[in-house]
Amino acid sequence: MLKTEVNELLTQTGPATPAGELFRRYWIPALLAEELPENDCPPVRVKILSERLIAFRDSEGRLGLIDEFCAHRGVSLWFGRVEECGLRCAYHGWKYDVTGQCVEVPSEPENSNFCAKVKLTAYPLVQVGDVLWTYMGDPDRRPELPAFEFAQVPAEQTFTSKRWQESNWLQALEGGIDSSHVSWLHSGGLKSDPLFKGAKGNQYNLNDMRPFFEVAEADGGLFIGARRNADEGRYYWRITPWVMPSFTIVPPRGDHPVHGHFWVPIDDENCWVYTFDYHPLRVLTPDERQAMKDGHGVHSRNIPGTYRPEENKDVDYLIDREAQKRGETFSGVRGIAQQDASLQESMGPIVDRTKERLVSSDTGIIKARQKLRKAVEALRDEGTTPPGVDPAHHRVRSAAIVLPQEDSFIEASREAVAVRPGVAHSSV
Amino acid sequence: VTTPIRPILLNSCARAATAVEARFRIDRPIGGRSARVIALDEDAREVVARIAAQVSGNAHFLTGSELAGSPSRLEEELEDADVAIMVATAGAGPEAAAAIAQACAERGIMTAGLILGDRLEVGAAVSALRPYARVLMVTDDEDDVAEVLTALRA
Repeated sequence: MLKTEVNELLTQTGPATPAGELFRRYWIPALLAEELPENDCPPVRVKILSERLIAFRDSEGRLGLIDEFCAHRGVSLWFGRVEECGLRCAYHGWKYDVTGQCVEVPSEPENSNFCAKVKLTAYPLVQVGDVLWTYMGDPDRRPELPAFEFAQVPAEQTFTSKRWQESNWLQALEGGIDSSHVSWLHSGGLKSDPLFKGAKGNQYNLNDMRPFFEVAEADGGLFIGARRNADEGRYYWRITPWVMPSFTIVPPRGDHPVHGHFWVPIDDENCWVYTFDYHPLRVLTPDERQAMKDGHGVHSRNIPGTYRPEENKDVDYLIDREAQKRGETFSGVRGIAQQDASLQESMGPIVDRTKERLVSSDTGIIKARQKLRKAVEALRDEGTTPPGVDPAHHRVRSAAIVLPQEDSFIEASREAVAVRPGVAHSSV
Repeated sequence: VTTPIRPILLNSCARAATAVEARFRIDRPIGGRSARVIALDEDAREVVARIAAQVSGNAHFLTGSELAGSPSRLEEELEDADVAIMVATAGAGPEAAAAIAQACAERGIMTAGLILGDRLEVGAAVSALRPYARVLMVTDDEDDVAEVLTALRA
């Protein structure tokens, strides 16, 4: 349970809100690189942290992320033309460069310097991996670029997709921290999904529906360990790192690629879910890549030409009661991503946490909220840089390991949860 | 795949989830948990005493030694409990935890352990509690005890 004021503190991320200021201390995903595929391609509308922006790639390949609306009469620059190193408004031809600087006002005399006085808000937009990242905070406090392993490996070893989720970012993130739902909601996928099936660890998952949990502090957030019985005298551990504010990695299964998420607030009632899969050592096979595009694993099957899942709110997530009855899916919704989204959206756009009834297995969620609240307050009151800003905090891995019962997962997995170039994930 | 059932009315489909209607959900009073917060060692005892002075719920604050040494007191304390939160520091041993956890298991009472200290220095306490707590949290932040109690409505 959270008090109303804490729930509002953590769920509101618009400009000048305390949690909005927190998000504005990090590099966050703004678009997939595929959305701006070539120089002078059409501009893309981007709404993040409740700000409406427009992204474009100019004639020389420079990336821009600027205010969506023309300074002249406030029309959307989405209707504009990307040409000759700028974005030209379709209404009266005002033109802006990637820094938001107006470089041409056609109605002014040729020797006028009026345009030099017109500049739109602009944020940096930088490609790291498959993702275009932005930093929307104080330029003087801009941290080093993100160093998450999924975005650092060669392009052929990684794949990222995204989907729109119609809920506040926090209830979506909390689903990523809550390992206890996996054995229920996603039980069908463990047996059949091409990106999961066949791992020995799946059997441990399915044989023990009452995992024990351990939550431990990490420099950038938390490590959450879920422990199940394995063979005699040993436990099967699945270790999920959470890096603040909203990055998680799912523990691996066998030699399958490893996946995870980055949740980015669009506004207070919607978020983008960036979902990646990567393998630290090998190229993703054509079959794996196709499975990801088809919405298997933790990816979604999107309506062509959009980032909206086919199983969405408007069509009751295409629930299939027969598949539910047969046990192919636990909830009747296809795909792990939309199994999660359907339930998280059903909570309401911003879940009222004053009414929830947590149990002790929700300790990971309780601790994550507390860390977020403390970070938001420390930034607001003392200007303290929050955990997860330092790229060193990004260099973590998830792990799936079998340990003797007496071993501490924190100590025994210290190497397993660190990024070690050239070394495979610890997986079962 | 069977033909999905298409929504007929806005109020009978997933689109009915809106910010406005969400305000009226689950409006029946929600009861709190009946919690026992048990310090397992001397340092933890001091922490628990401080927390007891801060929180205003219905939790009972106890020490492991007084419970483990007195089966009748343990039985009495656990009679209407539904969660037992054991608080420990680096010095905690398994004896009290074992006695409490066994009594909890017999009564279907959930057990949780909060271990205070640096995660690299409390390994022995973690090992001592691991068999007896369904949920363990290692933290260097004393406030977590109160935070968990509040979140659980204890």
